[in-house]
Amino acid sequence: MISPACSVVVAGIGSEYRRDDGAGVAVARALAASSSAICDVGPLGEPLDLLGRWDRATLAIVVDAVRSADAPGTVRVIELDAATPDERAPVRRVARGTSSTHGIGLAGVLRLARAVGSAPGRVIVVGVTGASFGAGVGLSPAVERAVPAAAALVLELVEGAG
Amino acid sequence: MSHGTRNTDRTIAVEGLARVEGEGSLRAVVRDGVVEEVELEIFEPPRFFEALLRGRDYLEPPDITARVCGICPVAYQMSSCAAIEDACGVTVTSEIAALRHLLYCGEWIQSHALHVYLLHAPDFLGCEDAVELAERDRPAVERGLALKRIGNLIMETVGGRAVHPVNVRVGGFYRAPSREQIAALAGPVRVARDLALATVEWVAGFDFPDVEGEYLFVALHDPVRYAIDSGRVRSSAGVDTDAAGFRAAIVEEQVARTTALQSRLFGRDAYLTGPLARYALNRDQLGPLASGAAHAAGLGDVCHNPFRSIVVRSVELVEACDQALGVIEMYEPPSPASVDVPPRAGTGTGATEAPRGVLLHSYEIGVDGLITSAQIVPPTSQNQLSIEADLRRVVQSGLDLPDDELARRCEQAVRNHDPCISCAAHFLDVEVVRA
Repeated sequence: MISPACSVVVAGIGSEYRRDDGAGVAVARALAASSSAICDVGPLGEPLDLLGRWDRATLAIVVDAVRSADAPGTVRVIELDAATPDERAPVRRVARGTSSTHGIGLAGVLRLARAVGSAPGRVIVVGVTGASFGAGVGLSPAVERAVPAAAALVLELVEGAG
Repeated sequence: MSHGTRNTDRTIAVEGLARVEGEGSLRAVVRDGVVEEVELEIFEPPRFFEALLRGRDYLEPPDITARVCGICPVAYQMSSCAAIEDACGVTVTSEIAALRHLLYCGEWIQSHALHVYLLHAPDFLGCEDAVELAERDRPAVERGLALKRIGNLIMETVGGRAVHPVNVRVGGFYRAPSREQIAALAGPVRVARDLALATVEWVAGFDFPDVEGEYLFVALHDPVRYAIDSGRVRSSAGVDTDAAGFRAAIVEEQVARTTALQSRLFGRDAYLTGPLARYALNRDQLGPLASGAAHAAGLGDVCHNPFRSIVVRSVELVEACDQALGVIEMYEPPSPASVDVPPRAGTGTGATEAPRGVLLHSYEIGVDGLITSAQIVPPTSQNQLSIEADLRRVVQSGLDLPDDELARRCEQAVRNHDPCISCAAHFLDVEVVRA
């Protein structure tokens, strides 16, 4: 996760030991390498780690690998708001399908942050469609190629917020 | 899920265990009002990390194994360091040991706060999840999050960063924090200790199902304090051995229904590690504050009710804060920050108390300094048989409950032990069936 001045927080979520699940971490690392103004505080294994780190930020950008019907390496931007489909679903259901969340996924963590009044003003998810989530290291080629584009997209979002 | 009454045959299936790390499934079959079988299935991928470590340099395990678990990376780092230093015949200085101890206290605080407040407490208060709890009792959840933040602050100060600390190395640390950096932790940790005391008071007032287990407890025992990061392995049946002896006594077996390995002591006995075991074997070593809190909360000498583990875990929060303050007040930066650990061919074993129980690591190192074999025995695989025994009791004593309520209680019974199934597996699903 990187936190420039804390008004904008960028978080890369995932595990580098689950192949393409490490896409978010790779994007965050690329961003941290691109600017000395950005501080890398380590890979976030799960959305719960956002609590205390994205508190009351103007904007939080969460970069994560996603499963979708898109081609591997496709990058999509999703803004989480009150209309987010999982918003009112019980956390235990939101958690299904996540790989290592200790039971609370991103939507649940956002709801929790809102319940205690610490949620960021806006939350944008940058999703990178992965191809392989098995045990192992290394991104698949299409996802590897998508990392610079996703990082550039995040920078655009950060600059747009400023 | 089917519906049934006490006297029918039924199978209870819970298809998703929420608020438990990972995913697996739970299945209980009831016939003629008697629980016939209870199976906690854990889907464990091949022991990827053990395989990954083979052929790697002997100094790499702390960094690699820290990634096994997002909740307890320090436990993995500390057990791996202990095992490698054992193999190489090196003992670290008391200053380095103290700093490791402080780092480990930080992990206990953040991990216990997470479990008590966000994963476990909602069960006792009739809340679907922590969000509902926050909506009903915001100050309670804020207290939990504040505790977690202070635990993270310790990890960040000592470990270099809060998520997967990078300052740990075999032999010690890359850089020792200054006196000022450590002294700055005192204020927040005192606040955490007060929050922890309030936590004990809060959870002591919960209603607990009247279910007790007969456990064979296993925990580390340290002669000078409530064991966290070091000690010999003891059991409630009188075992007293070092980590290597413990490793020799554990028999891990593969069973058909689960891809996770299950551990038995001497190849025979199911046993339990974690808060209940630590409390049973080491309660006399709790500091005055934690000991007083335990007494006020109504904990006796031994706690056999797994649902009350939330009280024990909260008492341990007080103890971890207290121990952390002890290190902070006496802190002397280790100089050098690490001792030299030259490679030596041989086998080494190390064990520490992860928040969920004993975590054992063992490595065989070749003459070239490369790892030839690695064994990681996490608390969850050690506790699995005892968790199943708990579930059998819970189902048997709850046969009058409707299926959905019984299934919920089963989920709660699993969460009592806070299994970190991604340590032993990934993805957890639960199923209960009345045949």
